[in-house]
Amino acid sequence: MNDTRRMLAEMADPLFAELGPDASEERALPQFEELGLPLLLVPEAEGGFGGDWLDALTVFRLAGYHALGIDLPALVVERAESIERELAMAFARAAQIAGALDAALGLAVGYVNERQQFGRPLGKFQAVQQSLATFACEAAAANCAAMGAAQALNRGAAEFEIAAAKLRANRAVEIGTTVAHQVHGAIGFTQEYALHHLTRRLWQWRSEYGNDAHWSRRLGSAVTARGADRFWPDLTARTDPACR
Amino acid sequence: MQTFVTEAVDWPNTAPALREQVRALVAEHGTRDPVRRANSWTKPAPEFSRKLGEAGLLGMTWPTEYGGQERSQLERYVVIEELLAAGAPVGAHWIADRQSGPLLLRLGNEELKRRWVPAIARGEAFACIGLSEPGSGSDLASVRTTARRDGDEWIIEGQKVWTTGAHVSHFMIALVRSEAGSERQAGLSQFVIPMDTPGVSVKPIIDLTGAHEFNEVFLEGVRLPASALLGNEGEGWKQATAELSLERSGPERYLSSMVLFLELVRHAGTASDPALEELVGRLAAEAWTLRLMSASVAAKLARGEDPALEATIVKDLGNSYEQAIPQLVQAAVDFGDAEAEVLRAVCFYLLQVSPSFSLRGGTREIVKGIIARGLGLR
Repeated sequence: MNDTRRMLAEMADPLFAELGPDASEERALPQFEELGLPLLLVPEAEGGFGGDWLDALTVFRLAGYHALGIDLPALVVERAESIERELAMAFARAAQIAGALDAALGLAVGYVNERQQFGRPLGKFQAVQQSLATFACEAAAANCAAMGAAQALNRGAAEFEIAAAKLRANRAVEIGTTVAHQVHGAIGFTQEYALHHLTRRLWQWRSEYGNDAHWSRRLGSAVTARGADRFWPDLTARTDPACR
Repeated sequence: MQTFVTEAVDWPNTAPALREQVRALVAEHGTRDPVRRANSWTKPAPEFSRKLGEAGLLGMTWPTEYGGQERSQLERYVVIEELLAAGAPVGAHWIADRQSGPLLLRLGNEELKRRWVPAIARGEAFACIGLSEPGSGSDLASVRTTARRDGDEWIIEGQKVWTTGAHVSHFMIALVRSEAGSERQAGLSQFVIPMDTPGVSVKPIIDLTGAHEFNEVFLEGVRLPASALLGNEGEGWKQATAELSLERSGPERYLSSMVLFLELVRHAGTASDPALEELVGRLAAEAWTLRLMSASVAAKLARGEDPALEATIVKDLGNSYEQAIPQLVQAAVDFGDAEAEVLRAVCFYLLQVSPSFSLRGGTREIVKGIIARGLGLR
């Protein structure tokens, strides 16, 4: 992470944490404006923040992590040029899913280490450990996928990567939300406990800007049309230097 | 909480040329049989390994003094992912090139290095790993094979099992108990045992497909010189587990069923079945993600970091993926269709061998336990 991005994260993290899921537009928007967040992807020459897609990933992921109640990514994408809105928002939702999964995993791990049953923390039970390990893998995959899409967006055309990232993130929602609730027991199902802010958003974001069927059809027909012998060469050419 | 921090992989400028070189070599010397191309890193073909050695594609990162090419870790990564994606028969040299060579270079004395490393780089010396024993599988610290001193020499007594490729290997790196009465991780050492040493015998174990990949290896009064001790006496556990990140996160952990995915893409192109295209999309997204994850770990290893948790995550996800492919293909494709014959053959082969994917290199349960510990549970 470079210095600008670290600074951006250090700004956004406490702000989003404070605003949280119940953020009101009256309170949030002036603060976003002050930090220049809606202009994140507008070039500096045009008075914007001049950020790239990895900067956007940082902000969108944190918006997901804190289940930010305002759709900040939509405000950012609205002002971004040279990209189809549907694609950019699919990327944004993938990044938010990645953040929210990490947050839900953090809550789950914290909870099972604290909650005692049968004389020991739930986290000592192998069945609980194995479920959380599976969850951690899914959260990791969603995060890597969002990162891969951001890197591709910085290189240029990224339709394949965005499709793959949104699809992979969508799929992670299923296991992530299931395990997060399961290990929390009944408390995770209450309004007073914070988990639902994350899981209900996760279910929402899975549907928005392309569900699993939408992206798998789109990706599948593109891959099939290119043919079996092009799959691997295409995949590697997307990241190799000569093709950047 | 963020368990996996991906950073941009700085793919080498030489990558496109290396890929072309490997693709041409595999097209000329590899196998066309799609069944042989599945799970190809367990398929030994010494001739093919020698071709790679001649082409400078083995021991790529090692010092030229020991027959290496002094190329970067990521250049090697490019080569191995190409070999696996193409289904090249790399089984003979795989373990030696991946871990035995690096281990010898890191810890071996001059005699061991001179004897084995250049031969590995030429594709002429192959290695096997002596870890599991009849009473010691996932619980590796319970090994009972012993090494005892006799003057300047060591005498090895015991038995190893599930030893992949022992029948084509020239030497084994074995983890044995070198301190009598020691327990668990203490008192273990690693020894380099030439397979032609008197007292070493190899007995095949035939797998459920009829193939011969692993073996029992009996070690009866095997007399070794002092120089056969690898690294430090008593530090075998630390040495043997230090390079697990390299072993767990490589592209072989998600590409074992790639040939079946490619056959599925071919079939979907003629079948015009939307369900098959959806499956192609889903599996393509997963392949793309896993490649990023595996390469990201490789980039961290290349920088000298040890991303042990991330490497373990790659193994768990990758194994689940390569196991899911044959199951999903079987569920989606009508094998009564004459057009699906190749697909069917590869699928049935992989259905049978894929249970091993989440056993080899650490079982799924052990792997998930490591991830849980990495999360701060336990």
